[in-house]
Amino acid sequence: MMQQPSPSAETESLLARLSQRPGVQSTLIISRDTGAIVRSSGLLTAEEIEADGAAPTANGTYLNGTDGEVKKKGTRNAEDVARLVWNFVRSAGNMIEELNGEHDEAKLLRIRTKKNELVVVPDAKFLLVVIHDTPPA
Amino acid sequence: MSSSSVASRKDEILAKKAKLAELKRQRELRQREFSSNRQILGDASELAQASPLRSRSTQQSREDIDSLIDSILPDQQAASGSRTPSGKSPAKRASAFEQAQDVVDTPVRKYQDAVTDTQTLSFAALTTVYEIPVETKPEVITYSKGVQTSEAWQSGDDGVVEGEGEADGGTRSPGRRRRRYLSERERELEEEAIRQRLRQEIEEELRALSLDESVDKDKERFPARSLAPEELNAVTSSNDFLDFIERSSKVIERALDEEYDVLADYAQQARSAEDDDEDAANYTGRKGRRIKEIASFDLTDPMGKKRMISALDFSPKFPELLCTAYTKSQASPHTPPGLLNIWNLHLKGRPEYSLHATSDLLSCLFHPHHPSLILGGTYSGQLCLWDTRARHHRTGEPVQRTPLTGGRTGHAHPIYSLAVVGTQNASSIITASTDGVVCAWSTDMLTLPQEYLELHAPLPAAYKTDDVAPTCLSFPAGDPTMFLAGTEQGAILPIHRYDRAGAKAGVDTRTSYLAHMAPVTALDFHPSRGKLDLGDLFVSSGMDWSIKLWRANPPSSTSTTISGQQEIVRPLLEIQREDTVYDVRWSPTKPAVFASVDGGGVLEVWDLNASTEVPVAAARPSCQGKDVFGGGGAGGGVRSLNKVVWEKGVGRHVAVGGLDGVTTVFEVGGELGGVGGGTTKSGEVGAGLRKLVGRQGRR
Repeated sequence: MMQQPSPSAETESLLARLSQRPGVQSTLIISRDTGAIVRSSGLLTAEEIEADGAAPTANGTYLNGTDGEVKKKGTRNAEDVARLVWNFVRSAGNMIEELNGEHDEAKLLRIRTKKNELVVVPDAKFLLVVIHDTPPA
Repeated sequence: MSSSSVASRKDEILAKKAKLAELKRQRELRQREFSSNRQILGDASELAQASPLRSRSTQQSREDIDSLIDSILPDQQAASGSRTPSGKSPAKRASAFEQAQDVVDTPVRKYQDAVTDTQTLSFAALTTVYEIPVETKPEVITYSKGVQTSEAWQSGDDGVVEGEGEADGGTRSPGRRRRRYLSERERELEEEAIRQRLRQEIEEELRALSLDESVDKDKERFPARSLAPEELNAVTSSNDFLDFIERSSKVIERALDEEYDVLADYAQQARSAEDDDEDAANYTGRKGRRIKEIASFDLTDPMGKKRMISALDFSPKFPELLCTAYTKSQASPHTPPGLLNIWNLHLKGRPEYSLHATSDLLSCLFHPHHPSLILGGTYSGQLCLWDTRARHHRTGEPVQRTPLTGGRTGHAHPIYSLAVVGTQNASSIITASTDGVVCAWSTDMLTLPQEYLELHAPLPAAYKTDDVAPTCLSFPAGDPTMFLAGTEQGAILPIHRYDRAGAKAGVDTRTSYLAHMAPVTALDFHPSRGKLDLGDLFVSSGMDWSIKLWRANPPSSTSTTISGQQEIVRPLLEIQREDTVYDVRWSPTKPAVFASVDGGGVLEVWDLNASTEVPVAAARPSCQGKDVFGGGGAGGGVRSLNKVVWEKGVGRHVAVGGLDGVTTVFEVGGELGGVGGGTTKSGEVGAGLRKLVGRQGRR
């Protein structure tokens, strides 16, 4: 009989693949309407922050830099990233709307910085965000 | 106006003035508040709604008053003297009054509209005492902030009054005027400063307000109302979410796989230049006959490891897409037996689509006229049709499949060969199974074959004993009605799809191409692009360790004798190899170039113009060497390559696949692939091949 992996397991593996790719620092899925975090990896979630008792800042610097735990889990606060990205996507959406009219929308956002690259795929209901290292240039 | 009445009126008015002094004071206070609001907040949007109406009504009332005063006042200079100081600082007023006394009243009116003037407004009190407060009241409430301006406004008043004095000109001494100028200017400056300050304050306040709002908004959504576990489950298991992940992760991986760094700064990099040199050396050193591996696609665990590759095809529309058909997994029996992956050269490590079938897939093909359709032939005899547009492609089920029944409704034996013939609007799918059944199908309906043909051995004597078991088939470029089929018996047979004059549909008994002493593994007609017609050439490969080049007889040829003896055609060229040759394919763009793969796991590219005995280039997939089936031993293990296929557009890419289930894509140098760009023009190359054919043919 045919037996396929269940859809959610498949999805899990896709996400795991993505977050384990070399160079990928963190992934984040947020709801497009509310900005609620659906899933994240490589980012500090609220619980972890509570557990740690230290809140790293959003810009990627970590407060207790010597803390190996923080390093491993990621250096950014998931909520901060979610908020910033969500706002960015919203304003990008407004920009597109005013530029190209109602019937257009942003499909892919790539932001290259000196340090890394942010790739955002906006979809009808969710946003997928991946932050990854870029080759040193 | 009669002069007799003037005196009585004067008295009357004086009395009234006295009475009004009190009222005036109160009103002035209010007016001051109001006018300061009006002037300073005049630009604030909220006020803008109220002010036009208001100013209109005041204007009107002022006009009324003006007319009234006109009638009364020509000789009322003295009276006005008693009036002016009433709300003002007496000292300043006095000085202003001295010069202005005689003329002050008439000009006042002129200034009324220009600036809200407390002095004139005091006149308004005569008629509009009740009206104006009612109107101003709401505004006063709204702008409770509209601040302490008593100093400023006093001075402002004076300034205006003095302005009046000035306006009627010449009676004053220059010294006083200068002083007035000075004080005026000072006052104006002061006023301006205060206005500025107020404006700033208000703006700051507004900003703070809006900031508060936005912060509030943020706070409503962020820190994101973190979803409860149940909610999270509901979201992550929703179809929307699964689809989204499927789509978006693909996009992101493509984005990340993009090797070229768009921000590359060549001015700053020395390292990449060296790499380029190396590449260039490769190119020049081997005269554009280089073969370079550019991608390889392996199976992942969820798909089931230890599958063999049974077929490969490049998409005709999207040169970066190729599909790979696999047999069943030896490692994980629970995965679907038939697997067809569509790989993207820009998406490493995972297939663009993963399609399933209920039985081992043995052949696959992109539909040449419908880029989203993919065909696959299975071991059980089913022809499956997938559509990448199908909404639930996540399940990988085919959208159509042929029935599994035998009889005349389809195949019941493995389908090793597939072809699509015809044109954009009228095409049919030709399938051949190993029991010698050939069917033609319409893409729209796979429930019943359009044509059904059983193949029989060409010699009636061997009719019962010799099967015709096609393993591969190939159509000549220009003729959809006949094709060649390579058989397990080693013969290559011409097969006509339709009855024609003097012969039945099926195997053409008059001609056969006999040279392979073992099953024919592959057969490929020349694609025949170019000026010279090379379309009658074909190559074949067989398990007898050889590659053969043939020239096909024209289908209408009647070179056979009446006795029915068949003509046996010999190959133009025989190339002996050291291993089983599993597949051979012409380059779609270079007339004399073809590629072959063999049991030793080597991809060889041949250029018949350069050599008819040795390949001009060879390569093996880098992933080889690991022993898939645990055979062990030095040089052991299975590395055989089963299939080779060229990219159809420009012919720069060659994909190979074999027993280890790894699809490897090579890029060939400019002499072996690509359109033009070689050392010779394709016409000349074709001519060279034609000459070669002529030479061999005469032998």
